[in-house]
Amino acid sequence: MIRAPLSTTSVLDEAADVVRLAAPWSAVIVLTALPYRFLQAVFFDQLAETGSQASRYGNLLGGTANLIVAAILFAFWGRAVFARACRLAHARGTAPGREAWSVSRAAFASYVLTGSAAFFAGFLTFFTLIGIVVAVMFAGLAIGTMELNERISIVEPFRHITRSARSLAIPAALVFVFFCALVIAFVNLAAAFGLAVWLFTAVAGFDAPHWPALFGFGNRRFALMLLAGALVVVEPFWVAAHVIYVRKAGAQESGDDLRAWFEELRRAS
Amino acid sequence: MHEQRPAYARCMSCSKTLCQPCATPWEGIWYCAGCLAAKRDANVQRSPAAAWIGVALLSFLFLYLGARVMVWTSALIAGLF
Repeated sequence: MIRAPLSTTSVLDEAADVVRLAAPWSAVIVLTALPYRFLQAVFFDQLAETGSQASRYGNLLGGTANLIVAAILFAFWGRAVFARACRLAHARGTAPGREAWSVSRAAFASYVLTGSAAFFAGFLTFFTLIGIVVAVMFAGLAIGTMELNERISIVEPFRHITRSARSLAIPAALVFVFFCALVIAFVNLAAAFGLAVWLFTAVAGFDAPHWPALFGFGNRRFALMLLAGALVVVEPFWVAAHVIYVRKAGAQESGDDLRAWFEELRRAS
Repeated sequence: MHEQRPAYARCMSCSKTLCQPCATPWEGIWYCAGCLAAKRDANVQRSPAAAWIGVALLSFLFLYLGARVMVWTSALIAGLF
């Protein structure tokens, strides 16, 4: 793995390498994120269905919101395992083994705390564009700093996040890059479904007259599922990028990056 | 510690420069013997129960309020259209 000085491009390059090394662990984050993203799509579908009468369907929407909260805890665990796998892959330069499962209880509890705070803050500032951006940045740094929490504390996880957010340029750039990646993933998934539908309708004797209607943007549920799918596809890279960013920022602060560089030079000579 | 020897690494906890025999990597990070021992003791010590309860309660509160705010905000936005 090539290690470069801290920058957005070096974080993204190393994140791509780390995701390649920790590829089997991507299954954990994808599988645990599926119920959460599916329920989110169901919630927004119910919201669109009820429309301007949504305030009269508080019980229905509240029930789905409660299920989302249960699913988010499962998704948090998947992210924690994947973040640990990414951290091990980055530190060793090899694919992580079974030790990636053993996320420390203190680190996971700290991540549940900061992740829940990001979830709350995200919906609280839903009306403001900047609020959502800040909540996404906060959520990214929460998973990135998770393993820095060796002991349980209410304040320390937030301190780690503020310490990592000293230079806001890179986390903000990561939000922008991953927003673009989300759009690209969405378009690619839509194109893949379009191609599959076209191929099936072209097969002689295989009649699928309803498919273009079901897998088209006229179907709201299909569009929501595509968005959920795009989020699931992008998530492993988003987690890896934040783990790498926190590691690289910490290494730069402590001089560990220089030590690694000297070590590489010594090995090369 | 061994000032006559060339520096090989830096302790990630106390920033002390270390010679090669004194530097110990743990999970890919260099530590001096003192910080490594302190780290081991910290791992052995149990975290206080009050902190665990506090973190659990605060997480529950954030999740509960998050779910409620999600419904209120979304219903409010849906009502605008």
